[in-house]
Amino acid sequence: MKSGALIFLAAFLALAGSWGGFVLAPQIQLGFNVQTNVVGTGELYPQARPGLAKQGLEVYRANGCVYCHSQQVGQDGTLCEIVLTDAGTNATATLAAIAKLDSELAKLDGVILLARLPKAILTVADMNAAEYALKALEAAGAKAETHLAAIGPDIARGWGRRRTVAQDYLFDYPVQLGSRRIGPDLANVGLRLPDANWQLRHLYAPQSEVQGSTMPSYRFLFETRKAGAKPSPDALQLPAVFAPAFGCEIVPKPEAKVLVAYLLSLRADAPLFEAPLTPLAGAAAATNAPSVSTNAPAK
Amino acid sequence: MTATSSTSPSPIDASCRLPLFTLFGGAAVWLALSSVFGLIASIKFHSPNFLADCACLTYGRVHPASLNAFVYGFAIPAGLGVALWLLARLGRVTLARPWLVVVGAKLWHVGVLVGLLGIFGGDATGFEWLEMPRYAAVILFVAFLLMALFGFVTHSARSRRCESADSSGEDVRRFTSAATNELYPSQWFVLAALFWFPWIYSTANLLLLVFPVRGVTQAAIDWWFSGNLLVVWLTLAGLAASFYFMPKLSGRPLQSHYLALFVFWTLILFGTWVGIPGGAALPAWMPALSGVAAVMTLVPTLTIAASAWLTLRGSTTKCAGGPLCFVKFGVFSLLLSGLMLAVSAVPQISRVTDFTWFGTAQTQLRLYGFFAMTMFGAAYYILPRVTGNEFPFAKFVRVHFWCGVLGTLLLALPLAIGGVVQGLKLANAGIAFTDVAKSALMFLRLSTVGETLLALGNLLFLLNVTALIVRHYRSVCLTAYAAATARLETTEVKP
Amino acid sequence: MNAELKTTSTIESEPTSTLTTLPMWLVVLMLLLLFWGAMSFDRRGGWFEPKVYGPYVSVPDLERFQPRDRGGPNLPRGKVVFEMTCALCHNSDGMGKPGQFPPLAGSEWVNAPGANRVLRIPLVGLSGPIKIKGQEWNLAMPAMGAALSDDDLAAALSYIRQAWGNKAPPVTAEKVKAIRAELGNRAQPMSADELLRLPEEMK
Repeated sequence: MKSGALIFLAAFLALAGSWGGFVLAPQIQLGFNVQTNVVGTGELYPQARPGLAKQGLEVYRANGCVYCHSQQVGQDGTLCEIVLTDAGTNATATLAAIAKLDSELAKLDGVILLARLPKAILTVADMNAAEYALKALEAAGAKAETHLAAIGPDIARGWGRRRTVAQDYLFDYPVQLGSRRIGPDLANVGLRLPDANWQLRHLYAPQSEVQGSTMPSYRFLFETRKAGAKPSPDALQLPAVFAPAFGCEIVPKPEAKVLVAYLLSLRADAPLFEAPLTPLAGAAAATNAPSVSTNAPAK
Repeated sequence: MTATSSTSPSPIDASCRLPLFTLFGGAAVWLALSSVFGLIASIKFHSPNFLADCACLTYGRVHPASLNAFVYGFAIPAGLGVALWLLARLGRVTLARPWLVVVGAKLWHVGVLVGLLGIFGGDATGFEWLEMPRYAAVILFVAFLLMALFGFVTHSARSRRCESADSSGEDVRRFTSAATNELYPSQWFVLAALFWFPWIYSTANLLLLVFPVRGVTQAAIDWWFSGNLLVVWLTLAGLAASFYFMPKLSGRPLQSHYLALFVFWTLILFGTWVGIPGGAALPAWMPALSGVAAVMTLVPTLTIAASAWLTLRGSTTKCAGGPLCFVKFGVFSLLLSGLMLAVSAVPQISRVTDFTWFGTAQTQLRLYGFFAMTMFGAAYYILPRVTGNEFPFAKFVRVHFWCGVLGTLLLALPLAIGGVVQGLKLANAGIAFTDVAKSALMFLRLSTVGETLLALGNLLFLLNVTALIVRHYRSVCLTAYAAATARLETTEVKP
Repeated sequence: MNAELKTTSTIESEPTSTLTTLPMWLVVLMLLLLFWGAMSFDRRGGWFEPKVYGPYVSVPDLERFQPRDRGGPNLPRGKVVFEMTCALCHNSDGMGKPGQFPPLAGSEWVNAPGANRVLRIPLVGLSGPIKIKGQEWNLAMPAMGAALSDDDLAAALSYIRQAWGNKAPPVTAEKVKAIRAELGNRAQPMSADELLRLPEEMK
């Protein structure tokens, strides 16, 4: 090539292309998102994180938790299960309806099939097929419902109930999705480990809660001080190996408390249009409020 | 040139001396520091409570400090230094306004210092590869613009005289760059690199730190920036050096102009879309597009391999632990790293290798194995020429080479294998997470050994560069003193 | 030091590059990879839809998993039935064709709160003059809905009654069943006059 101008043009076009694709287009598609409704309810999602959790996000950022922990859950597929809740008065008709839906099930013992309800008896392709199955079962007098479940290794590990989507990170700054899993994924840690005291003990001495953990201890988030006549309500209850010297107690500093508040606010399980899911029956509302923590001794 | 005598450098080389001293001197210091930080971070895996009591030395601060010290402290200044020297040499013109380039270089190092202090102090931004806080980013941006500006000025002042070609007797058509005013491939890469960094850096900082975009768009832009920095910018700056030194040091012409042109176009067209991982929490089209682009980078990677192979194949020059060895190993590492990038982007494989040490291995191989080693080779060639002195510890160059080779291989290969093992275990939900973490420990130990070797090599580099600079100024002072005293003697003798 | 400083007498020569052409296998490889990339993007890319996240492939795919309002009309099904059976003449946008097929969008027959009259049209057909939206039509419509099941016809009518700006309550399968029973084996199409003599809502 002869001139700097041509090189400049080439570089400009190439970079403009990817700028349009990965800077401009995401901004157009996602940059103006607002809260949406949780599918099936009028609830807004996501709720803004409460103030303590927002401060905790700053502590998370400042200490670089993102270099070991990711905050995104993946999904390989979605299952649509038919859950039989009531066999109805006419067991034969119910069994006949089930047999028509899935001939394999006809070979099973009817008594066992209809025992211990509610249970998932059938997996169908999608909600249209589920609608058909439900109608057939209801015609036979039984009662059933559909249950959507996500499948994938992350889901199987209990790291989430569905994949994370853009809506889950709407109000976060900075969004720290993470690119390594040296430690477990934290997208739903508020659901999985909702005990604030566990989180505090784990931060102070990770090896006390998780055997063989390579997570460094965050002792600088805590204060060791002389215990008064009564132990303070915030003092950590640690096993003997990690406990402080006699007469001293470990008390979390405000940084530790807000970090735990942030961790407990991490959840991404609300059913959305782009991530359909059946909410758990009787599940707590999808708020980001931290669970109430007590100083009850470790179980 | 023998080891004891010195030759005065050509005017072009001499004009680059001060900027190169500033850029490479500072880069060597940051490189050594980055090794120290990296080692501290690495040791924490084997002994989690190592230095855990201090907030500023927690893994989450030391690790990004090490990465930033490497990329912003060493890689970019070194790349810039080589880039400016290449523009001057290939343009057959002295560097424009060296003093202002020195100001830019010093400003850059100040920015890196401020940024690293910010990271240790807890001001890290939380965005990977962009951790320097806003106040440091501004300084870095201005400094880069200043230096890039004079690179462009140098280039536009290039001479267009005809010159005699070298004397290799090969019976292929060739042309000299100056004769036809055609630019040599290194010049395209350098000019593109000087243009690339300001755009990606300013966009990323503006949209992430100054006027932050909403939600997960931040992650998309951060991934765009890191892909462009690591895959495009480093390769552009590194290849500029490789395409210059491979033919120059082996005595053969570069094979070929069209291969280099193909590399240039495919690199900037495909490489710029790399960065978004397979399982990202973004709409499906973004990781899909990025994955396809990453697989497409196989094309420039293989082209570079072909070009290097053809260029070096017939060469009889032994590199003997000198600059050519570094450059050859650099190209080899780029090939390996490019293969890893392309393979790990295939969706079925990225499901296993995402979130594991494999990505770290690929990045380290590219950063260290390719870019750093190429920069070392370039420095070991350029710095003696700009001062007219040889390196005081010439034997250390060979030791550094072997430390670099073994260190890189011990760092990257165990991490790559460990990453695959980790990924396969992660995909199996029946295996508890602590077992997954444990399975990677042995590989981490090997990689720490590799990092130690690299640290040793970096120390030797720092030693050599510092000693060279010191020797230069010592000889300058001594000649000035000798000249001053000689004049006194003659004036004394005269009645 | 007294050693004489040697100056470089010749300008050091810079490297040159040859003009060997690009090997074809590289270009072929690039084209093959581009082909693979296009297929991969087609399969996984969701075609730039912002709401489509892997493993879903499109918005209709996502809609297959949205919960159904069990008591309400099956509008997605209704749309499918409409497209298969009615849209051939009445057009997908419900505007029909001037002079040939009357519009459904904005039609007072469709939008009547009670569906007693409009349901009979697909069940037995319509012939003779009829006034729709102030325009006179005089054509014959065959009994397009006679072969549909109660559910499907109810779904289609419910869809029509809320599409393109229509605002009428949905129709249940039971109502369709009742009207079918009333019509019995009738083969003769209805006429507009006969329809208007019927009550709007079936008792």
